[in-house]
Amino acid sequence: MSGDKDKGPVNVKLLLIGNSSVGKSSLLLRFSDEQWLPEDESSATIGVDFRVHKMEVKGRKVKLSIWDTAGQERFRTITSSYYRGAQGIILVYDVANRESFDALPRWYSELETYVSQAVVKIIVGNKVDKEFSRQVTYAEGQRFAERMNSLFVEASAKTSTGVKEAFQQVVEKILDTPELWAPVTKRPGVGLNADNGSMPGSINLSEPQGSSAEGGGGCGC
Amino acid sequence: MTTELPYAADAEVSLSYDELEVLRLQYQKELSQSHVTIQTKFNYAWGLVKSPVREHQVEGVRLLQEIYRAEPTRRRECLYYLALGYYKMGNYEEARRFNSLLMEKEPSNLQAQSLAHLIDERVTKEGYIGMALAGGAAAIGAILLTSLIRRAARK
Repeated sequence: MSGDKDKGPVNVKLLLIGNSSVGKSSLLLRFSDEQWLPEDESSATIGVDFRVHKMEVKGRKVKLSIWDTAGQERFRTITSSYYRGAQGIILVYDVANRESFDALPRWYSELETYVSQAVVKIIVGNKVDKEFSRQVTYAEGQRFAERMNSLFVEASAKTSTGVKEAFQQVVEKILDTPELWAPVTKRPGVGLNADNGSMPGSINLSEPQGSSAEGGGGCGC
Repeated sequence: MTTELPYAADAEVSLSYDELEVLRLQYQKELSQSHVTIQTKFNYAWGLVKSPVREHQVEGVRLLQEIYRAEPTRRRECLYYLALGYYKMGNYEEARRFNSLLMEKEPSNLQAQSLAHLIDERVTKEGYIGMALAGGAAAIGAILLTSLIRRAARK
């Protein structure tokens, strides 16, 4: 049906958020490099980290820019600037750490401030390899995700359970929501209004900045 | 599925004018009340280092150096953004120095590895240009010298 724009990859920006030490960077590393760093070797993310990953979903080429943010409180202000232009948000908690699950509402309130409602959200309960010290049940995670109108997956970056599925699911849902990525050509007014409705503040100002940043992969010299 | 190299995102992406302004105003406000918190100072320094404007980068690096000296708990992030700041300013020697300090402490830090890679790339690239320039200068020097010698020999 939307076969008129089958050329070129779809650019998708994803953002990983959640408390520190829940395994955001590990999920990204597992997904993009099929790697795993033991806890004593991995270091807390400084500010943000970034990876580009290409995949094919539903027969479409997708170029993912995945932004991995520091979970530490002291980076909150500065990482919030990366929300701009994101089409998918991956909220991570640690199933063996109740505090990280209880913190999710706070992350959602931050989302309300920075991204439009159409943005796809997925909650990832990480570290299911620590089954013996689990503090949050699958059902509980799923119930919360339903309430927040978000997708839900349990995963382990260590064993790679559920990792690919998590990313796959977000991207599929984004592709099913064309207003998130398809250029608004027919009636630009509608698209803009839809955005403005839920994005308070300077979003319009920062929009062009965001798109130029995505193209910033190459070096200008 | 392919993945490109990890990438020091903060090297390329800068803040909008408004965003940097928010950080600057907060810093100025605390400065006028003569109590600047490390967090405010760090946020502003971070915004400055990310800016494409050279004066901003210089000021950002200066603030980061102050934080580095004053606040041991912030050293790792200061090292990273100092390296990044110097990298953006084209001072690759200093960039490498700060980045290696971070890598010494955290050998498997992927962000530092990625930045090291970027610095090396840039040094190689500019090294070739430098060599070409030096080569050109040497050639001109040689021509001048031979002409001088010839002139001297004629006398």
